[in-house]
Amino acid sequence: MSLFSSLSVSASGMAAERARASLLVENLANAETTRTPEGGPYRRKDAVFASEAVTSPFGSEFANAIGAEGTGVRVAEVIEDQSAPERRYQPGHPDAGADGYVAFPHINPAEDMVDLMSASRNYEANVAAISAVKDMISHSIDLLR
Amino acid sequence: MLNPVAGSLERYMDLLSARQKLVASNIANAETPGYRTVDLDFEREFRSQVAGGQPRASEVPGLEVNHDGNNVSLDREARLLAENGLRFQVAEALLKSQLQQMRQAISGGGSG
Repeated sequence: MSLFSSLSVSASGMAAERARASLLVENLANAETTRTPEGGPYRRKDAVFASEAVTSPFGSEFANAIGAEGTGVRVAEVIEDQSAPERRYQPGHPDAGADGYVAFPHINPAEDMVDLMSASRNYEANVAAISAVKDMISHSIDLLR
Repeated sequence: MLNPVAGSLERYMDLLSARQKLVASNIANAETPGYRTVDLDFEREFRSQVAGGQPRASEVPGLEVNHDGNNVSLDREARLLAENGLRFQVAEALLKSQLQQMRQAISGGGSG
């Protein structure tokens, strides 16, 4: 039934926004990190979304009798900011170079906060869609009473 | 078994479910680069459904496109989300009264 696969579509949206939010939080937490396992300062990460056809748990057996296909969303890739790190003059810092400059991550907390708000709003929009569809399903079930 | 009105109501509800699914897709893809809003032409699809056709989704023209090629408007989708839910409730109430009539006919129109 079409309504149940709508739930999968919204759930994929929630999962993607949650993944994005966790990357943004990671960026905020690492705004001052100068050491990473790969070496060098932390690099800002962001998620790129791509749409994807959702498969219902029942698979093709219960393939929709009705033609309109819904498309979910997934995190296609996680991109790292490749711009040059921000150099600050801190000669006392253990990671300072010979010239006294330290490479800090190029992170603008305001940018991450704004993106975080948008991820959170989109998450809420998906939750609203789920609850609207849930109401429709429970009303259909009420027909049996 | 039920009268043609109930049959039409059923198709109407099917179509509303299909539309709600597209709205859910649009909301889920609100930040997908290059994604375009899709919707059904409700009136036309309802007529073709009553005639036994399959609904077709198409891109919605005239929406503002973002810098990343996405044109989902959350306001539009929120409105449709609520509208579809309400339309569905109306159809459900009508269908319920049809079923009620059927029950009454079965029980001979008596109070039981």
